[in-house]
Order: sequence, then structure tokens, then C-alpha cells
Amino acid sequence: MLSNRLFFVVVLSLSFYNCFAQNNTCNYTLSGRVVDEHDRSPLLFATVYIKELERGSVSDDKGNYTIANLCNGVYTIVVSHLGCEPITETITITKNKKHNFYPEHHAEELKEFTLQEGGYAEEKTVATKKLSERELNQSRGKSLGESLKKITGVTSLNTGNSISKPVIHGMHSDRVLILNNGIRQEGQQWGNEHAPEIDPYIANNLSVIKGAEGIRYGANAIAGVVLVEPKALRDSAGINGELNLAGASNGQLGVSSAMLDGNVGKLKGLSWRLQGTLKKSGNVKTPDYYMKNTGLKEYNFSWALGFNKEKYGIEMFYSQFNTDIGIFSAAHIGNLTDLQRAIEAEEPLESADFTYTIDRPYQHIEHEFFKVKAYLATGKVGKLNLIYARQYNLRQEFDKHISRNDSIAALNLPELQFEITTHIGELVWKQNRNKAFSAQLGVSTINQANTIEGRDFIPAFIKNGTGAFFIEKWRSKNFKFELEAGARYDYISQQVYKWNSRERVYNYHDFTYNNLSGSLGAVYKPNDHLTTRINYGMAWRPPNVSELFSDGLHHGAASVEYGDTNLVAEKAYNTILGVDYVNKKILIQVEGYYNQIDNFIFLKPTLPATLTIKGAFPTFNYTQVNAVLTGFDLKAQYKFVEQFSWTGKTSFLWAYNNTDKEWLVGMPANRFSNGLTYELKVFQLLKKVYLEANLETVLEQKNVPENSDYLAPPSSYNLLGVGVGFTVPTYKQQNLVVNFEINNVLNTVYRDYLNRFRYYSNEMGRNYSLKLKLTF
Amino acid sequence: MKTIRNYSILAIALLTLFTVSCSKKDDDSPVPVSTTTPPAHEEELITSLIISFVDTAGVQPNVQYAFRDPDGDGGNAPTQQDTIRLVANTYYNATVQILNEAENPAEDITLEVQQEDDEHLFCYDITNTNVAVTRTDSDGTYEVGITSRWSTGAVANGTTKVSLKHQPGIKDGTCAPGDTDIEVTFVTEIQ
Repeated sequence: MLSNRLFFVVVLSLSFYNCFAQNNTCNYTLSGRVVDEHDRSPLLFATVYIKELERGSVSDDKGNYTIANLCNGVYTIVVSHLGCEPITETITITKNKKHNFYPEHHAEELKEFTLQEGGYAEEKTVATKKLSERELNQSRGKSLGESLKKITGVTSLNTGNSISKPVIHGMHSDRVLILNNGIRQEGQQWGNEHAPEIDPYIANNLSVIKGAEGIRYGANAIAGVVLVEPKALRDSAGINGELNLAGASNGQLGVSSAMLDGNVGKLKGLSWRLQGTLKKSGNVKTPDYYMKNTGLKEYNFSWALGFNKEKYGIEMFYSQFNTDIGIFSAAHIGNLTDLQRAIEAEEPLESADFTYTIDRPYQHIEHEFFKVKAYLATGKVGKLNLIYARQYNLRQEFDKHISRNDSIAALNLPELQFEITTHIGELVWKQNRNKAFSAQLGVSTINQANTIEGRDFIPAFIKNGTGAFFIEKWRSKNFKFELEAGARYDYISQQVYKWNSRERVYNYHDFTYNNLSGSLGAVYKPNDHLTTRINYGMAWRPPNVSELFSDGLHHGAASVEYGDTNLVAEKAYNTILGVDYVNKKILIQVEGYYNQIDNFIFLKPTLPATLTIKGAFPTFNYTQVNAVLTGFDLKAQYKFVEQFSWTGKTSFLWAYNNTDKEWLVGMPANRFSNGLTYELKVFQLLKKVYLEANLETVLEQKNVPENSDYLAPPSSYNLLGVGVGFTVPTYKQQNLVVNFEINNVLNTVYRDYLNRFRYYSNEMGRNYSLKLKLTF
Repeated sequence: MKTIRNYSILAIALLTLFTVSCSKKDDDSPVPVSTTTPPAHEEELITSLIISFVDTAGVQPNVQYAFRDPDGDGGNAPTQQDTIRLVANTYYNATVQILNEAENPAEDITLEVQQEDDEHLFCYDITNTNVAVTRTDSDGTYEVGITSRWSTGAVANGTTKVSLKHQPGIKDGTCAPGDTDIEVTFVTEIQ
């Protein structure tokens, strides 16, 4: 091993030596033009980069480029143009040479539409971690929150098995921004038991930016951003599609999802997509018993239509997400005595067998999403993107017991209903890279209206926001250095109509928030193996309505919670340092972060307990403190031989309340995992065959404040999972991808600190799942 | 000509899609209709629990003790938390009443409990005092506990926990199953 590396170093130095030695004869020149593959128009500011020499050149306004002082040799040339998929060619130099490059410039526009957050040839100063194709295939059938857990540093906050929210570096809900198709997902995301209303099957790319990303995305991106991105629409005539089927033994889950993509050849540039998903699952089983009423139903569909020309284009996307989620009956409690009994019980106090039937209590949720995006090239200088999106979210919560009053009970209404409608507009201009510089500036607006029915929990409100941002990037000539700086200003106003049930009158509140933030980041790539990143980012969020207006008993939580209308906005200052190292045998990705959050809002236990007609409940007040969340994520891979590799992941987090000098409550426990993968290449008919086993260890969360919970955090646990998968090429471009997994192989009995039902039940037991993906 | 037809197909397709899109909407406005009209389907409250005692021998005076939290759970503290004071060595007939006094006139929720008596059970847990409580009503199979007989013993001080259990489909005559709708603890003095 060591000798191998030594040999490598020696060879490397020799090759350098050779190059320097021949310096006198290294006077060959490579020159030519970079032109569009389609219309042969010159591409200006395209970069032509020689990988081996780590230098290159930029094409001028006629598309001409020149690279001088080349030696005899074979070179790998990478040609990239802003937003374009880079092309790689191998060129042998024995004399002065002319060579033209033809990147597919047309593809750039299409890409630009789906992935507005650009920067293909560029590095981000905060790493974006994305699910690999295999990880995505394996996650099919799971909710969005569960799917993202394969990314180091991302965990989930669960309410049973069916409600799962992504947690990034210890934060979730209002501190994590979810971008659905490039648009902020807006529902009732403040709630712990409110899962993202997104069908993961719409996306072929699920990724997470872990860092304060407030500049580009505005409020709420305190812990990071989850990106849910569909693939680009077809750019050539024809039809293709994808059929996904997934089944799992536990809960007898069944999912089918299909997608059809088309491009109308006669109308050049017109493409379309249709997609739909059906999902159903029943009562989930822990190793020893079924959990009553834990079924789930989901029916989603979406369509997209695009008309893309080279200089302009328009794309529309529409989706509907509908679900009924059963809430575990035994987790419904009337008061603290009930909770105490539930905690002390060996098994849940309500037993059940398997059924698909969903009874009260349950949630019914609908989310409608519509987006239209238009694009216009502003000469050769840049591109203008205009986006409008509308979202409608309906959340209905049906309690366990219908009203005692028969006439009301007969209506079978939800005890709680929120309807929120959101309009978002965004205008962004992106400058094409001008030599070393590229810029992006934009404005965005949001308008939101929320109405309520039923139990008094959060009030009705109208919210308006406007933001403007500017981001400038600079890249050094040798491509080793990149710098990024940005600034943003936001203004939000909110009018709240709060029903005062005691005085039988509405109280009106008017809030305004201003925020100016900035960020600075750098990337340094000394060679092909090493990338280092540093970023200092700011993000903020105004307090949400539940933090401002909670007033009374929170039924699900067995606590009396009070909001505070004097809360101010939370501000985060996050420093992230990342190092990626990769060679043929080893991959190491480390990220350390120090996130200082001023005016961090949380529920603080307060004395005395509140006496009600249901008994006494602990009292909690929404309070602001200065907090620091710091930790690191590490991913390492080692290839023993070509086919056999080990992957280790670990995430550590320390979340401290600096004001009260105590730990913050409800933070994910430290964890690590060890996986072995064996890839077989012996079969003719099966491609990409792999076998893998993974052992995940979640430690006990010991860093908790005193007297903050009814039950101490559960002890540590180990989960063993195994999987096998392969791809069967069927016909021409068609493929059948098969994945089979067993989760919790040993049927381990455990509870997780970040599952809100840990007071009542163990986690899910062994689960066999099979996923099939047919592409045609 | 062909292009025109293609474009009109496109136009029709677009029109159809627009009609299908954004079909869902919120018909209400966040701005209230009037400053005093409550949000639709406001939750029912239980604000008060009252127990009335009648001496079966007709010797001791009738007494009534109450727990009142007029603004419901949270908010202002309960306004009334009586101590139950009963005479030693006496038989009382007790009747419990639960009310929503936020409404005017007060709504008697006991009637609704009575209608669904096969789903409800009042429980009386007495500690440190010499009192025996027997429920005197029935849903046909099991007791309900809206009415009960209390027999007091020697002089003592303790507590009485009155709770209402909601046991739809799981009522078995004991206090164990179900969720708790009401739980009030009275200081109790047998004098």
C-alpha cells in the first residue's frame, strides 16, 4: 500500500521533471474555435482546460482560443461553457495543432430550466450532497424525509413511521428550506408532525446543501436547503418513460409510479411529461406487536410542458399531492396520567392486527403546486429567468374522538383545518462568465394567506415579502481558486387576525421584519485529488405563527404552550470548512461547521405547571436564547480491491444554549455507520450487480437539559441492513433495475430519540423490500 | 397551414391544462367577516365540574363543590377549586355535572355523556380519607358514575380525584382503558 503510493509519487515527480527538462522544446500551440454544435455560432468565454497541466484558456468573442507552450504528449482537454455539460477530448500534440470543439450548446438551455441554481463547471463554496443513482433507487417507496437519511449529517424527525421530516445538522421544520422544482415549498412546515408534501418520484435528483444559504434563497435556510429536482424534459423527438414498483413486507406497502416523457418532433422544442404515483400501506409491525392505525394512502400526479428555443423558452409544471395518514391510536392521550400509563406499559395500551383501514385519528393533506418559468437570453451577456408559482395547501387533522354533540359529530368534520395559499414571483438575471467573473442578481416576492377552522391553534394571517440579492463569483486563471460573495436584503410584513376565545373578539397584530445578510466563500483545488472549501454564510427567519401565538394545551404533546408576540427574528452565522480528498483507493469527505444562532427560538419548560380541568400539565414558553450548533460530518471510502469497498459515515453534533449554559433539547444523537459493498462483474446478462451490508450505530443522546422531557432519551442501538441489486438490460436503451433490501435484519427492539412516538411504542421491526424500475 | 394546426392543438392543450390546474382554492379570507364572529367550527370547551351531595337521611344540609376554569385549558388559572367537606359517618347521594360555562346559557355536557354512556365512565379515587364511593347508575352493562353513593367514615383529611374516561368500544367497567377527558383533584375533609 505504502510502496504503491511511493511509486505514484515518484512517477509523478518524474513526469514533472520531464516536462521541465523539455521546456525548451515545449513551444507547440493548440488553437482553434469553440462553436455551438447545432448552429455553429461561436461560443464566447468557453473554457478550454488541459487537465494534466492544470491550465487552460478562455475563448474570445469569436470563439477563438489559443494555448501556447505545449510539449509533446497526450492531453485530456475539458471544454466547458456556462451551464453546459463539459465535453472531454483526448488530443495528441506533436506539432502546432488546430482543433475545433463543438459543445452541445443547445442542451445548456434545457438544463438551465430545471437547474436554475447553476454552476456546472463551477464549484460551490458549500458542498451539495446528492443521493447517488443507487441510493435513489434504494430509497424508492420511502417518504422524502426517509430518503434523505443516506446523506451524512441528515437525520429525520419522525412521528411514527409515516411522518418524517428532514433534519440537517440538528435543525428541521422552519429552519430547513425545501426547494421543490426550485420553488420554496410552502405549507404548514412549522409543525413537528407536518411532513413535506412532496412525492419523491417527481425527482431524479435529491440533494442537500448543508449550510446557511440565506443569500440565494431568502428566509428560513438556516440549517440548509433540500433540493427536489426533476430531470430535464426531452430535447429530441420521441417518447420515453419509467415505471417504478415498490413493495415492502412491513405494513404491506405497495407503491406504483409511472412517468412518460415526450417531445413533439413537428413542433421543434415542444416537450411534455406526465407522472403519477399511488401508494398504500397498512399497520406497521414492531418486532413484538402491530401499531394500531398506522396506515397510509397517497395519490399524486404531475405534468410538465416545455417549449424551449435557443434564445427563449417557457416551461410549466403542475403537481398534486394528496394523502391520508393514520396516527397511531395509542399515542392519543388525554392528560399526563394517560401519558405516564403509556410510558410505563410494556406494550401499547391499544392492540391491533394488520389492516389497511385508516381510522381516526388521522391527517388529510392536499398540496397543489403550479409553476411557470420563462427564459430569455439578453444578448451574449446573460440570461433572464422569470418564475411565477402558486401553491395551495390543505391540512385537516381528525381527532381520535368525534364531538360528543351528535349533530356536530354527524358532519364528521376535522377538528383542525388550515388552508394556506402562496404566490411566489422571482426575476433573476445571470451573467455569462466574463473572463474570471460571473454574477447573478434577482428579486423575489411572496404573498401568502392562511385561514383556519376548528380548534384554536394558529391564527389566520396575510404575509407579504420582498427580497433582492446579488452574488458575484470570481475564478482564477488556473482554475484553482474560486471566490464567491453575496448580499441580500429582505422585507416581510405580516397581518395576523387572532381569535381571542376569552374575550370573544379578534385581536389584530401587525409585524414587520427587515434583514440584511451577506456571505463569503472560497474554493481551493490544488490538484485533481483535493478540494477545500470554506464558507461564511448568514441566514435568518422571522418567528412563525405557532411561536408567536400558541396559547394553551397542545394535545399531541401533553403540554401547555405559550407563544410570545414579542419574539424577534432568528439570525444564523454559519462557518463551514470542507475537505474532499479522492484517489483510486480512498475517498474522504469531511465537513466541520460552527453555526452561531442569535435569538434561537425554542420551547423552554417553565414553572409552575398549568392546572386545567384535565389535570396539571407542564408549561412551556417560546423563548429566545443565543445558541451554538457545532459538529462535523465525515464520509470515508476505501477500496480493498476493485470490487470490494468499505464505507464509513459519522455525524457528531453539539448543540448548546449559551444563554442558560445548558444543552439544547431534541437534538439528534451522534451516530456512525459501517458498510461493505461487493460489486460483481462476472455476469453477461446482469449489469451493476452489488451486494451490501450496513451496520448503523446510533448513540444515546446524553447532552440534554434537565427536566425537559417526560422520559430520558432511549439508549443506543445498532441496526443491520443488507441489500442486493442489479440491472438487466432488456432491449436497446431499456433497463430493468432491481433492488432488494432487508432493513433491521435482526429484528432489533429499539426506540429513537427523534421519534415523537418513542413514549408509546418501539420502532418498526424487520422489513423486506423490493424495488423495480423499468426504463423504456 | 400545418404549423397553424399544430399551434392550435398546442393552444387547446394549454387551455385544458390551465383549466385542470389550480382547481383547489381557499374560499375563505384571512380577514374576519366581523370582529366578533368566531372561526368556523370552534372547539367545544369543558369549563366546570360540579358535584352535588344530598344526605340520604335528610339531616345534613345539601352541599355543592366545584372546579371552574372559565377560559378553558391554559390562559387564566382556574377561578374556583373547592375543598369537598362532608360530615363523618353519613351516606350521601352525589351527582356530577360538567358544563361549558363559556357559552351563555351554559351548556350541560353531562347530557351528552349520558347519551353516550356506554363510552364513558366516571372514576373516583380517594386517598387518605375514610370514604367509600359506589356508582349507582348503569349503561345497561356497566356503571357510568354520573350518580353515586358516598359513605363517609371517621374524621380525616385527604384528596378525591374525579376523572371522566372516554372508552369507546373498550369499556370494561374498570378505569384502565381509554383516554382521560377530565381529571380534577379536590382536597377532601371529613369533619
